[in-house]
Amino acid sequence: MTRRLTLAQAAFGIVGALMVASSSTQAADPTTLTVYAAGTLAVPFRQVSALFTQKYPNVTVQAQFGGSVMMAKRITDLHQDSDLLAVADYNVIPKYMFAGPAHATWYAGFARNAITFVYTEKSKYANEINSDNWYKILSRPGVEIGRSNPDTDPSGYQTVQMLNLAEKLYNAPGLEQKVLANAPLTNMRDTETALISALQLGQIDYLAIYRSDALQHHLKFIDLPAKINLSDPAQSAYYLTGTAHTKNGDLAGKPIVYAVTMVNGSKNAEMAENYVALLLGPQGQAVMKTNGFGEFNPAYAVHVDAMPAALKKLVEPWPGS
Amino acid sequence: MSASLAVEALTLTLGAFRLNQIDFALARGEILVILGPNGAGKSVTLETIAGFHRPDSGRVLIGGSEVTALPPERRNIGFVVQNFGLFPHLTVAQNVAIARRSDRAIAVPDSTFPAHGDPAALLSYFGVAHLAKRMPAALSPGEKQRVALARALASVPDVFLFDEPFSALDADMREQLREELNTFLRALAIPAILVTHDRGDAIALADKIMVLRDGAVVQSGAATEVFRKPISSFVARFVGVENVLPGRIVETTENGISIEVGKQIVGAARGQSMPAGRPIVVSIHAEDVAVSLPEGERQKSAINRFAGRVTAMRRAGALVTIAIDCGFPLRAFLLGPQVREMGLDVGSGVAVQIAPEAVHIMAD
Amino acid sequence: MWLPPATPSYPGALYLACWFAGGVLLAFLVLPLVALALTQSGASLAGVARMVDVRDAIVLSLEAAFLSAAAAAVVGVPLAYALARTAFPGKGIVAALVDLPLAVPHTVAGIALLLVFGRQGVLGEPLQTFVGLKFWGTIAGVVVAMLFVSAPYTVNAARIGFEAVDPQLEKIARTLGLNPWRTFMRITLPLARRSIMTGVTLTYARSISEFGAVVILVYYPMTAPVKIYELFLRFGLEQSAAAAVLLLIVSLSLFVLLRTLAQRGGVPQENR
Repeated sequence: MTRRLTLAQAAFGIVGALMVASSSTQAADPTTLTVYAAGTLAVPFRQVSALFTQKYPNVTVQAQFGGSVMMAKRITDLHQDSDLLAVADYNVIPKYMFAGPAHATWYAGFARNAITFVYTEKSKYANEINSDNWYKILSRPGVEIGRSNPDTDPSGYQTVQMLNLAEKLYNAPGLEQKVLANAPLTNMRDTETALISALQLGQIDYLAIYRSDALQHHLKFIDLPAKINLSDPAQSAYYLTGTAHTKNGDLAGKPIVYAVTMVNGSKNAEMAENYVALLLGPQGQAVMKTNGFGEFNPAYAVHVDAMPAALKKLVEPWPGS
Repeated sequence: MSASLAVEALTLTLGAFRLNQIDFALARGEILVILGPNGAGKSVTLETIAGFHRPDSGRVLIGGSEVTALPPERRNIGFVVQNFGLFPHLTVAQNVAIARRSDRAIAVPDSTFPAHGDPAALLSYFGVAHLAKRMPAALSPGEKQRVALARALASVPDVFLFDEPFSALDADMREQLREELNTFLRALAIPAILVTHDRGDAIALADKIMVLRDGAVVQSGAATEVFRKPISSFVARFVGVENVLPGRIVETTENGISIEVGKQIVGAARGQSMPAGRPIVVSIHAEDVAVSLPEGERQKSAINRFAGRVTAMRRAGALVTIAIDCGFPLRAFLLGPQVREMGLDVGSGVAVQIAPEAVHIMAD
Repeated sequence: MWLPPATPSYPGALYLACWFAGGVLLAFLVLPLVALALTQSGASLAGVARMVDVRDAIVLSLEAAFLSAAAAAVVGVPLAYALARTAFPGKGIVAALVDLPLAVPHTVAGIALLLVFGRQGVLGEPLQTFVGLKFWGTIAGVVVAMLFVSAPYTVNAARIGFEAVDPQLEKIARTLGLNPWRTFMRITLPLARRSIMTGVTLTYARSISEFGAVVILVYYPMTAPVKIYELFLRFGLEQSAAAAVLLLIVSLSLFVLLRTLAQRGGVPQENR
């Protein structure tokens, strides 16, 4: 069975590499840095890459974006070569990259985000909704809400966790169930960004999405209380009481922290390290802030001892670890 | 007997092509052959009669009733094309049975003929009943023709239309099928139009001939009329007149007309009125030229008797075509034995005799 | 009936080159699929076949693809006939328009369809209000997305099939008393049948495999490609490969069956 799998993985790897149609030739090419990152990091990372290329003109940065889990699996299952991995949920790295033959040994949280709902002027009750009554309006029948799949995408389960917390905060039993009733399976996608066009075309009225996306796409959004929108690591203990039931198990709420790590065995370790340094430093933080992400000053990191010396200076151990 | 098919002043524009004032009538039992070079409009005429083109003006009448406004399926025509057009995905029996029949019957002299269009009976009549379950691809050309006719008859047509049915066949097959078709058409006395560019078809089948050129009728009439009295050198050459010669009218008397042809004066019978001095064209069939040795017996009159020399001989089976220079080029026919008997060869001296009635005068 | 000989009497370089090139292409197409199939055992396939959601996804794909192929046949065949037989101004443009979906990126196609058939779409809104027909998250949406990307195959194949039917045969049928409709049904259509079936089968195949346009309109209920992708995200290579191979086996059997049915009752070609 093992032999078959190896053959299959080799074959699938060839096919996968061909079908993804990405030029992943960086392993052999010393001047190309490959970065895999979550879709929501697309805009800020392009800006960071531009800054990086100004600093290191002989390096080309090739970034690919997709669902955090998908990008991690490309490294672990499809054996595609990447130098860096940045995810929307810091848990993805230890879950997929630390396990089995370790593809990474540390990670650093470098940006924060919040769950929110975006809408347009075409949305139902658009001129009524605000930060206080949002849960009542979203519970009304006939309101169509979009969200991403909690089984495959972090923002999916984070949305459910947030609703779970909201039910407790507002003391409104049935809130989670009523809102989710307006966000049935038919309104679900693998990533929330796939639903933006549906929102703009009026197919859905509200979309559960990150605050950074709301600002980047210039969409109206609702400011949810920090106690439920998973944006504040200081509220971690409270967040844990919010639960999402998924096919991967029951997931407890955690703050939305974007984490980055260097992939083991990368042939561009030095350049990768430089990139992370830029990202965690003041310039990187400024870019994240401009794009609507919450900043970290300094970044939190897990397994600090495993990090390269230059990066250790930029981080603090993760509170509570 | 009222005409079974009449076409009146039919005019049609098809892209760059124009069909102009086509006019003719066909009675029961008559066969019309439409003759002409490629592009003359023969098929277009046929298709218009069949109903595939709507004419700009004019009428088509079949069986006495006007059909100009009717679609093909309501016109009661039988249509046979080159390669016979059998439906390749149906058996012979299915091909014949597909026709839509009404309660009509064909009035036909032959009482054994299945006049109501019964498919099985038609197959028997044409002797192809044993082929009922075969596919068209497995049939010989003769068998295909019979099946195509049976099929056309199954729809009980008032008139038959044939569009170059023998074009794709070799000479022997062509002759054989032509004969069969002739026999069958005469037996049934259904009026038919046959479109062809082969004059052999016209010779074998035609009661009437209509010669078309560039969309217009050049000559139309009884077959013998068109053959013996072509209206122009175009028609003459098309119907196969071997001798088409330019000439000039010298004088017209009550006895006949004198024509200068080459170095000779040829006499034509009177009755063809032409002003003197006019340049004309003379048409003489080769079979009307009598060839004899110069010392041969004197003819009753010396009119149109010329001395000449054989310039070429061409043998086609038993028939020999002799080219003679007798003051103008002339072609004549002789049979092989005659040639041998007279001991003719290229360069031999001969005397030719042409009856004045065989000299036909044309304007151009 | 003349057929070319199995081996030419004097095989030359051209003959060998054809076989070589053909072999290379066949290997290129078959090797990845065979390699994929070999990753599975009977047990792994049985395991994934036991999953209700995998079975449901495959069944949904087959059903929706069938509806898509049927729709393509119903509206595409008449269009193909018109393109084959009539000349009208702008015919070239219409023919090019038919091929347009092949060049449109699938995601773009999905968004465009959502624009028209969505809740506020120019067709979607009245259809939802008056007929109760929804395309978002329904099999109707799947069919619409499938049809958009795969209809050209039916139209093009049918058109070629109709063009190969001698117009003389249709004319003769008319003179035998068959009106245009009957002529089409009894002469033209049977003679073009093989080509049409080939086109419809291609449409069916293309419909089953469509992902990008479908997933914009319908994520749930999941078609097989969407399900396979979801399995990959959740579990990784093994399970998604198993589901993929299962889909391949089902699809392949179906196509072989369809192709065999299409070949039957074809018309022998005669040498003119």
